[in-house]
Amino acid sequence: MLRFVLNEAGRLFLGLFGAALMAAAVAALSVPHAADGLAYFLVAWGGRINDLIHLRFGESVISGLPIIAELAARLPLTLGLVIEGVIVAALVGIPIGFLFGAGPARRAAAPLIQIVAAAPVFCAGLVLAYGAASLLHWPVPINGGVSIVLFPQNATQAQAMVLPALTVGLAGAAAVQLALRRSAAEAGQQSWRFYLRRMGLPSWDVERNYVMPQIFAGLLASLGEVMLALLSAAAVAEWVFSCRGAADLFVKSVALHDWSATAAVLFVFAGLTLVAQFVGQCGARLLTSAGPAR
Amino acid sequence: MNPAPPAATGAQSLRTSLRILGWTGLGLIAVAVSLSDFLASAPPDAAAIGPLMLPPTEAFKFGTDILGRDMLSETLHGLSVTLRLAVPAALIALLFGTLFGSVAARTPVMVSLSLRWLLGILAALPALLLAILLIGLTARGWASLAAGLSAAPLGFVRSFDRASLQAHAVHTEYARATGISSATLLRRDLVYEFSGTLSTSAARALAAVTIILSTTSFLGFGAEPPHRDLGLMIAAAKTYYLHAWWTAAFPALTLMILILFARLAAGLDEGERP
Repeated sequence: MLRFVLNEAGRLFLGLFGAALMAAAVAALSVPHAADGLAYFLVAWGGRINDLIHLRFGESVISGLPIIAELAARLPLTLGLVIEGVIVAALVGIPIGFLFGAGPARRAAAPLIQIVAAAPVFCAGLVLAYGAASLLHWPVPINGGVSIVLFPQNATQAQAMVLPALTVGLAGAAAVQLALRRSAAEAGQQSWRFYLRRMGLPSWDVERNYVMPQIFAGLLASLGEVMLALLSAAAVAEWVFSCRGAADLFVKSVALHDWSATAAVLFVFAGLTLVAQFVGQCGARLLTSAGPAR
Repeated sequence: MNPAPPAATGAQSLRTSLRILGWTGLGLIAVAVSLSDFLASAPPDAAAIGPLMLPPTEAFKFGTDILGRDMLSETLHGLSVTLRLAVPAALIALLFGTLFGSVAARTPVMVSLSLRWLLGILAALPALLLAILLIGLTARGWASLAAGLSAAPLGFVRSFDRASLQAHAVHTEYARATGISSATLLRRDLVYEFSGTLSTSAARALAAVTIILSTTSFLGFGAEPPHRDLGLMIAAAKTYYLHAWWTAAFPALTLMILILFARLAAGLDEGERP
């Protein structure tokens, strides 16, 4: 197990190193004349790598604020959305994944799940907003008007926060149930399941002690994919619901060619995904190597 | 001994039926797109065709928007633009993702590991953000290329990992020992891998890039007026769709149908992600 963790930690380190190099390359574009030729770009890239080594992250050309201050102001909202999304994803995605993961329900649900999965996140967000506005008469922060904050102070702010969190959570739930269904389908094809029953083990014991750890290990191994889905959905939800988070900063920074801010958000998002992959792989290994849970 | 052969056969049959349905749907969409100039009653972006913000009626079946544009015609033109952007993007994703991943896994170790590392880092970024970055670095006219390239890393990583197992399998060692050259082996492996799955991979790539393209357009990075795609139409309707649902509902429904048919054609029903 220790060897596996060290191996994965090495991969994580290499991934973070590569992400830092990529972020430095993007940030180099903010240096004047960096786009004039390869030699100019390489010099600018080297300069940015040097800045990164000395923990100098530069300033945003839009706000004039240091990038660290800009990220510190915006990242908590995005992380809050992702965490709330994880909770919704677990509450919705895990039961659905198990319900539709095996047996006749899987075949019956396949077309239905295809229809739901065909909805892009921004369409889901707009549908949620429409439902909240017309059925629940909530204030919908689609075109501004209601500010979205991480810790709501009143009912209006709480209602405004629910919609982006639900949008991110539903995208996460889709990723979670897909990962669960995939691992359930794989576990369902294993012949040892049949042979364990032939050996006299009750079905429930086989499912609880051997199949469930395999299925959850499959979910954990897909944690990186789930994180990608959550971050993508956060970017869309922040745009749809006018949230001032890190993903919104990324979109505006690219539009206004603020490459230092763009690079910082890219590095943070890549880092989050790589860490999720590392945690997921180690967790999956732990589940499958620990033997049957008692 | 197979514990559950009848269920497996039933699932296979359902999967085949859904795949046929998907390809039929995509074929019908392709026909509608090729005839969009004849089927649409108004040219793209033609304003004041009818009253402003008219709900669906007999004359305007999808209603009209805030500029009096016929939503049925606009949706048809939007579908046409979306598909024209998505098809080349899907081919790029297929070429630089699945196919390149398969070839890269069989290159010398240092080259293949370097490529896997580089593409693995890109795959750690949400494809949507990567597409936005690529469009920001180039121009909105390059949206198709950007969407294809941003969808490629994930396809590359999956294809690479699958092909690595294949490249180090026992039969490969035996084949090399009998004197079969690496080039011949690569050609045979590629034919074996893609002969039955090329159409599936293409449909999967089409679903993925359609989502990326429409979302980038929705965020203001994709298609440009007057050639509005479905994402841009929905973005334009965002400010007033709470009072005029039809301005966003019909383009969104059309987009979902396109993605649904592509997903069905790819047979994505076992927890696979496009």
